[in-house]
Amino acid sequence: MVNLLRLPGARFLSHLAIVFVIWAALMRINDGIDPLMSYYLALAAMYATAMFGMVILVGLSGQVSLGNGALMAIGGYVFALTSLNWQTVPILGWQWNPIWSMIFAGFGGIAVGLIIGWIGARLRGPYLAGLTLGIAVGIPAIATRFPEIFGGETGLMLTVPYPTGGYAPTVELAPIDEAPLDEVPLEQAPLEQAPLEQAPLDTETAGAGDMLTADNFPSAESSPAAGDMLTADNFPSAESAPSVSALPSDVALPTDIDPIAGGDALLAGGAFVLERWQASLAVTAACIIGFLALNLVRGRQGRVWRAVRDDEVAAAVSGISPAGSKISAFVVSSFFAAIAGAVFAQIISYVGPGAFGLGLSLSLLVGVVLGGRASLGGAIIGGVLLVALPQLVFNIAGDRGWPANVTDNAPNLVYGLLVVLVVLIAPGGILGSLKDGTRRLLAKSRSAK
Amino acid sequence: MTTFIDYVLGGLGSGAIIALMALALVLIWRSTRVVNFAQVGQAMFTTFIALSIQTWTGSWYIALIGALAAGAVLGVIVQYLVLRPVKRNDTSGAIIATFGVLIALQAAAGMIWPGGSQAFPQPFNNSGIEFAGRVWPISIYDFVVIGITALLVLGLTLLFTKTSLGLSMRAAAFNPEVAKLSGVRVSRVLTFGWALAGSVGAVAGILVAPVSTISPNSFDILLVYAFTVAVIGGLDSLIGAISIGVFTGLIISLVSGYSDSGNAPVVALLLLALNLILKPEGIFSHHKARSV
Amino acid sequence: MKYFLPLTDPILEIVDISVKLSGLQILDNVSIGVPQGTVTGLIGPNGAGKTTVFNVISGFVTADSGYLKVDGKKQKHVHPHHLTKKGIARTLQGVGLFPTMSALENVMIGGSSQVRSGIIAQSLAMPWTDVEQNRLRAQSMAVLGELNIAEAANRLPGELPYPIQKRVALARALVSDPQVLLLDEPAGGISAADISELAELIRSWVPKRTVLLVEHHMELVMEVCDLIWVLDAGKVIAAGTPDEVRRNPAVLAAYLGEDGAT
Repeated sequence: MVNLLRLPGARFLSHLAIVFVIWAALMRINDGIDPLMSYYLALAAMYATAMFGMVILVGLSGQVSLGNGALMAIGGYVFALTSLNWQTVPILGWQWNPIWSMIFAGFGGIAVGLIIGWIGARLRGPYLAGLTLGIAVGIPAIATRFPEIFGGETGLMLTVPYPTGGYAPTVELAPIDEAPLDEVPLEQAPLEQAPLEQAPLDTETAGAGDMLTADNFPSAESSPAAGDMLTADNFPSAESAPSVSALPSDVALPTDIDPIAGGDALLAGGAFVLERWQASLAVTAACIIGFLALNLVRGRQGRVWRAVRDDEVAAAVSGISPAGSKISAFVVSSFFAAIAGAVFAQIISYVGPGAFGLGLSLSLLVGVVLGGRASLGGAIIGGVLLVALPQLVFNIAGDRGWPANVTDNAPNLVYGLLVVLVVLIAPGGILGSLKDGTRRLLAKSRSAK
Repeated sequence: MTTFIDYVLGGLGSGAIIALMALALVLIWRSTRVVNFAQVGQAMFTTFIALSIQTWTGSWYIALIGALAAGAVLGVIVQYLVLRPVKRNDTSGAIIATFGVLIALQAAAGMIWPGGSQAFPQPFNNSGIEFAGRVWPISIYDFVVIGITALLVLGLTLLFTKTSLGLSMRAAAFNPEVAKLSGVRVSRVLTFGWALAGSVGAVAGILVAPVSTISPNSFDILLVYAFTVAVIGGLDSLIGAISIGVFTGLIISLVSGYSDSGNAPVVALLLLALNLILKPEGIFSHHKARSV
Repeated sequence: MKYFLPLTDPILEIVDISVKLSGLQILDNVSIGVPQGTVTGLIGPNGAGKTTVFNVISGFVTADSGYLKVDGKKQKHVHPHHLTKKGIARTLQGVGLFPTMSALENVMIGGSSQVRSGIIAQSLAMPWTDVEQNRLRAQSMAVLGELNIAEAANRLPGELPYPIQKRVALARALVSDPQVLLLDEPAGGISAADISELAELIRSWVPKRTVLLVEHHMELVMEVCDLIWVLDAGKVIAAGTPDEVRRNPAVLAAYLGEDGAT
């Protein structure tokens, strides 16, 4: 019997089909939900993109990394710097386009991943975890050290070129300022045009700070600085933070940007909705990365990574270079992280050390451990969890009238305890437990017959 | 030259504190082969407790004793509830679990002690000592820090070399199976190791708090420094942790002095990376960090 | 003392190898040759350094002095993962299977040296990666079939009885179609009936393949080997045919105290 799935190209087509169905469904959903939900969708997709890499690195290749938030920073900064400074593609001289920035961000991730992977591949568990912890703290510190390039503690503001395509921004968007935003020093950037109450359009600002909580929208008014739950560093608090809502409509945009999603998805009553565009960008990136990840995980490379994780000696005598396999996992995961970082930069229209601090790295680890570190589905669950759980906790807290300090810290307390519980009771995470559960149920029903 | 001496003197106190935190990591690594990334979280928590005690009683000494006790208790709790139940072959799990504890402790501290960064009252004079006609960049408080560190190191050395408890700890660390056969109650000894490390970390916390501030995240960078020191010293070497710790304090002080304090973490990271490339098992250890 | 055997056509030679590990002289000027197309045994009491010889050949241990020759060519440092490319495959003590992978997947990993497609082609699931994997899968199934364990293909190692696991490990070594097969205690932990089957199996590979065997089970060694080297305390103390070795007083002396264990 010919197994259709074994035919050459069948894996490509089936994976493409799976990813396309998910993409189409998410785009459809994005079309019908309100802007705040779209914003959450964008964040969840962005987290999932980075965590696909965590599944490969931590789950399959068995290297616990705390540095992937810093690798996202690489992607974010490369995106920001290239799109702020380059009008044309170097050497080739083509017109600049954000896609190019995304590609360069990916290359940046690959380069840094190679270096870290090369050092890390020779190290055992705790040594690697410590090294990547140092990287998670060190890379943002480098950004602060060279303020003339990286904008220092305040970071860099981005003008996210969204497809104009004849759709004017909604009237709620903040007053349009005279100057285009690129390269305007932060102090001169138009700040605070829109009062916070004008959410949801302001949520980008607030959300930028808090890594684990995806969005501190509900508590933004009561405590502007409450955003950074896990971060040691101080993201510029809401007063000083550049307001993203001040997106001028007359920014000189490359004209040849294809709207990533169909124009309809971007429209709500005929107006451009920024969050929908952000969500379509993030979802599309997540699906492309997800496709690559799926091919790797469900193919020979996934087997190779698991082999080295299970038994390095046996893998080596089978002809696999353990170091090579570990480095490749690092490179792939940092490529994914860099793309996620570039998406993150576009969602929050900003890159800064606070947004990519240790907290972000930790949240990626938390997400992938809770979701399930052994399979890509775990990354998706993790992404949703990182966005949804804080909202859930905030809602409960709001109903009960908890004080702000309790509310703000509750999600992280839950995360920390859940991580410990998952490691002790269900190492496979949520997805792993669901799989085990169904397997057990099936076995039971079979034996009942 | 005098500036150089100033920077060196200025680095002694922070070096001692980093050394203590590294010592706590080493104590646990020796006994359980786990790098306890939650260590600074525990220290932060006990320092908050100490701050509460200090505010309440007004005595730094009672606060210090409180921190020591709380550190031991917290260490035992973490070991009993979290690290002991982790499956033995699940090294990734153990690492992840310690980070889970760190996140939970930081969140809990944020709940219990709201208000962000808080100042810890100065127990001793922390301004430079005047001597021989100039002000030196070292204070009474620095001497207290260095003195307490020296006392702790002396105590630990005596414990490990002169007492039967110390001997059983070394035996249990060296070979738990053999130790068990020769009548050492290994699990009890390991728990004692965690308590000890918890107390040492707590001392590091209460000593660093007056010269910085205390907030749930304020010790994160200390974790990076301490880990760097512990690894460079060779994770299982007490002498390594102390000497490299003091050395790192000096380096940080020199780097901050001659360039900018923002460079210190980057330099520490470079040191760590360099060490891991060249001699991953550390300077003071024969133990292997690389896998076959 | 050094043994010079009339080694015709040695495919694998280790020459004057010395290894010192944490102060202990594990191997002291050891020279061993494996003639093409034979089953060669390497025996000796516990701690004689047999597995270290294997580890030197496969690159896990770097010798302090001496060198390795494969097919007459002197080798510089061998990386373990380049071994199969040189036509050498090795089994590990015990089973050494990957616990999270099915038997078939385990065997497919053994064919890693044949895989040409890189990570970019794999990440795009290019059709030729499927062709390559299908070929590898077919080869692996064929080897499993040769060893009469085809029905175990989709089982996890943990679900299989120990002798079957050992066969899967053999299959993983065989799938790279090695010229030289290094077997580290293939008879460990399996029953007498299985051992005689194993002896037949090993003999069936020669003279197409060459086998170097480390084994405690003397009956198996005496039955299958053409040539036997005896190590004791890091030195070669005897070499010869099974009969010669059996009669050698030095060998008997070395094994005294071990009392012909296993």
